[in-house]
Amino acid sequence: MTDLGIAIDSSMGTGSRGAFRMFLRNKAAVAGFVVFTFIVLVTIFGPPIYGVEAHKMAAGPFLGPGDDAGPLLGTDYLGRDILAGVITGGRTTLFVAAVAGAMAMGLGLVVGSLAGYFGGWIDALLMRVTEIFQAMPSLLFSLVLIYLMGPGTWKETLAIGLTLWALPARLTRAEFLRVREMEFVKASRAIGSSDLRIMTRTILPNAMPPLLVAATLLVVIAILFHAGLAFLGMVDINTISWGSIMGKNRGYTLTAWWTVAFPGIAIVITGLSIALIGDGLQDAFNPKLRGR
Amino acid sequence: MALLALNDLTVTFDDLTAVDSVSFTIEPGETLGVVGESGSGKSVTALSIMRLIEMGTRAKIKRGQAEFTMPDGSTIDLLTQNEATMRGIRGNQIAMIFQEPLTSLNPVYPVGEQIAESLRIHERLSRKSAMARARQMFDLVRIPEADKRIRQYPHEMSGGMRQRIMIAIALCCGPRLLIADEPTTALDVTIQAQILGLIKQLQVETGTAVMLITHDMGVIAEVADRVVVMNQSKVVEQGPVEQIFHSAKEPYTQGLISAVPRLGSMAGKDDPEAFHLAGTLQ
Amino acid sequence: MIALARSIGIRLGQAIGLLLAVVVIVFLLIQIAPGDAALYLAGEQGVGDAEFLAKIRADYGLDQPLLVQLGTYVGNVAQLDLGESTYFSQPVLGLILERLVATALLAGAALLFSVTIGVALGVFTARRPESPASHGVTVLSLVGFATPVFWLALMFIVMFAAKWGILPVGGIEDVRYEGGWFGETVDTLQHLVLPAISLGIIYLAIYSRLARASMLEVLESDYIRTARAKGAHERVVVYKHALRNGIIPVVTAAGLQIGNLLSGALLVEFVFAWPGIGRLMITSIFRRDSPMVVGIVIFSAAMVIIANLLTDLVYRLIDPRIRVGGSR
Repeated sequence: MTDLGIAIDSSMGTGSRGAFRMFLRNKAAVAGFVVFTFIVLVTIFGPPIYGVEAHKMAAGPFLGPGDDAGPLLGTDYLGRDILAGVITGGRTTLFVAAVAGAMAMGLGLVVGSLAGYFGGWIDALLMRVTEIFQAMPSLLFSLVLIYLMGPGTWKETLAIGLTLWALPARLTRAEFLRVREMEFVKASRAIGSSDLRIMTRTILPNAMPPLLVAATLLVVIAILFHAGLAFLGMVDINTISWGSIMGKNRGYTLTAWWTVAFPGIAIVITGLSIALIGDGLQDAFNPKLRGR
Repeated sequence: MALLALNDLTVTFDDLTAVDSVSFTIEPGETLGVVGESGSGKSVTALSIMRLIEMGTRAKIKRGQAEFTMPDGSTIDLLTQNEATMRGIRGNQIAMIFQEPLTSLNPVYPVGEQIAESLRIHERLSRKSAMARARQMFDLVRIPEADKRIRQYPHEMSGGMRQRIMIAIALCCGPRLLIADEPTTALDVTIQAQILGLIKQLQVETGTAVMLITHDMGVIAEVADRVVVMNQSKVVEQGPVEQIFHSAKEPYTQGLISAVPRLGSMAGKDDPEAFHLAGTLQ
Repeated sequence: MIALARSIGIRLGQAIGLLLAVVVIVFLLIQIAPGDAALYLAGEQGVGDAEFLAKIRADYGLDQPLLVQLGTYVGNVAQLDLGESTYFSQPVLGLILERLVATALLAGAALLFSVTIGVALGVFTARRPESPASHGVTVLSLVGFATPVFWLALMFIVMFAAKWGILPVGGIEDVRYEGGWFGETVDTLQHLVLPAISLGIIYLAIYSRLARASMLEVLESDYIRTARAKGAHERVVVYKHALRNGIIPVVTAAGLQIGNLLSGALLVEFVFAWPGIGRLMITSIFRRDSPMVVGIVIFSAAMVIIANLLTDLVYRLIDPRIRVGGSR
């Protein structure tokens, strides 16, 4: 489980059009984008096209990936098709990660912007709350939440969202503190804009670049998180996700390595492509950091 | 024989020529002022003499010679020496101090240790003897309360004191040439005078030659024996300081000199006036 | 000296306050959770056993007003009483402490491994920024970021047990082993290798990139130029002058990551059947052993808070600019 803070540099400049062009020039980032789009498309259209049901028996059990008698990526102990599992499992994983990430981002944005903009006791209070949530190891905290709430896809999503919001909150606060002091904010205030207007129309657009990068990395973390929870068996047993396939087949690792290898590879490739996009965005917004 | 004879030094950064066929000499014990605007190539010249310019930059010393007279009378061309030889010369025969004393000192080590390091490198002293010598250097550069200060960190000292530490580091091994690159530019005016005075005094005491780089003609007038004027990578004019100030031949030099504000020049006038720049500063 | 003691005191006070807040939040979560709190606390035993439930209610004072309950609970925690496990019928804290060493060993080894080798790689590639090794570090740091630690652990098991047969892949010791304490230590260390590397290698990838960036920046500093101007050998410049400044961001990051490290340790313990606190957490969840689950969360929060205090201390040792008592 990893941490956003070390991956982001929040001293970025803006200029979206130039940044967009810079992004396109970054081959790795474009590759990441292409791969990610491909994965999303496969997740959406794959299952009906491939046709095989992931949870049903497709062939004999324990068939390796090279085995002619079985599907491309082999079968597990119940004869379930691994490739079908990977294609179908992607839906749950990506969906939960996206929603949880959005939740965490949203909550973090609200808390962070309020803390950074108003300062004073609001800032102190909100930061204490953030600290409390950061003091608990994230996985353990989400485990407790799921333990208390019970399984279910929406509950998992909520649990992950409630666990990951602290980092976006810190980042947003830092950005708001930085942008708040700039001239155009003072100008906006001078013409009588309300606080809400300043926060949303003036400061937020300027704080976007590092927050955007943070959002992409947050999605990766959410994917890893959900995979971990699924692996442990803490999620809805009826849904298939990359983590759950690995979890179910854990006992057969030594005899059927492909059952745990391929879902994991799917996670790595997906996470890597999103991270490349994030890295590309970071480079595009602040070329000074290139090569770092 | 000149202590350092620089001849036709040319340094480039990719397509840009930072130093173009620069030649001058430094006599033992004299103060040579190298003056010019920012970007004229003064610092690059100094770093090239020390062979520090090529580390971590795209600089290339294209041609030239830097004949330095060693203590035994022989001369070596600094520009062709290998790194091991140069390491023996840096801090030992030729020392350099820089503009920003705060960032030029390592923030995580006490200042006494940083002086002692030079002694341990060149004179192979033990830690104890090196620290004792470092303590003596405090007296040389007139820093009071040496016993307390020797263990302090750079951030605990004022700018003037930090620059004195830099001077102590530079002079502790008894170099015959001290290159001072804008040593007082980052300091308060009153401290500037102190530091310049200290450098001058130490020069008399130790017989070290000084190559003082600055953009400030006023400083040159104070301390230099001879002057080299640089503009846009080339040497424009050079000569004894009185000659340069009284009868500068080049328009650029004249411009530089006249740009120094003169006390009393606005006497009798009610409103501010632009002052007249002689020559050209092109 | 006094200023230093005062600063430590303040930090300690803050830490305790933080832990207190964690306890309160956890307590509130239990209360908010749907379902009967008594049922949670009773675990599996409570289902269908009304008498036992009544006993639980009385024991935990569940019919008391909320604030009283909170007060009791906080009071208990302050006296180091985390309740009793419904599965083991023993005090929670004791059971946790039994497994603390295993987790600490794992996390500590992973941390050591990732920081030392990460920094070494970072320094190496900072001196050769355009080299293939340097590009490799960038790629690996991104891959590492996206890699699930439990998958990596499983892959290691496949590689080392299935294919090559070296290094044990489960547990902390070979129960059949009979030798003296030296042999046992070696045995434990052998068992430690794969789990620690699985946990650490992801952080290694990230720290090496961070170290590289930090060293590159430091090597452009003025004081590095001064060190070279003194005639110092490049090795001395890098390892004495640059390194100590360059590792500061890495130490900071490592300290901030302790919580994540424990999360990762939980998964690694699960995969390798490593008898630590993480594994206990998971088994306790399956056994519905609520006091244990809650107790572990609070205990691990305490561990993170202590780790942060220690990191703060280490940070101050390295960087004299933020030492207390120094004049500024």
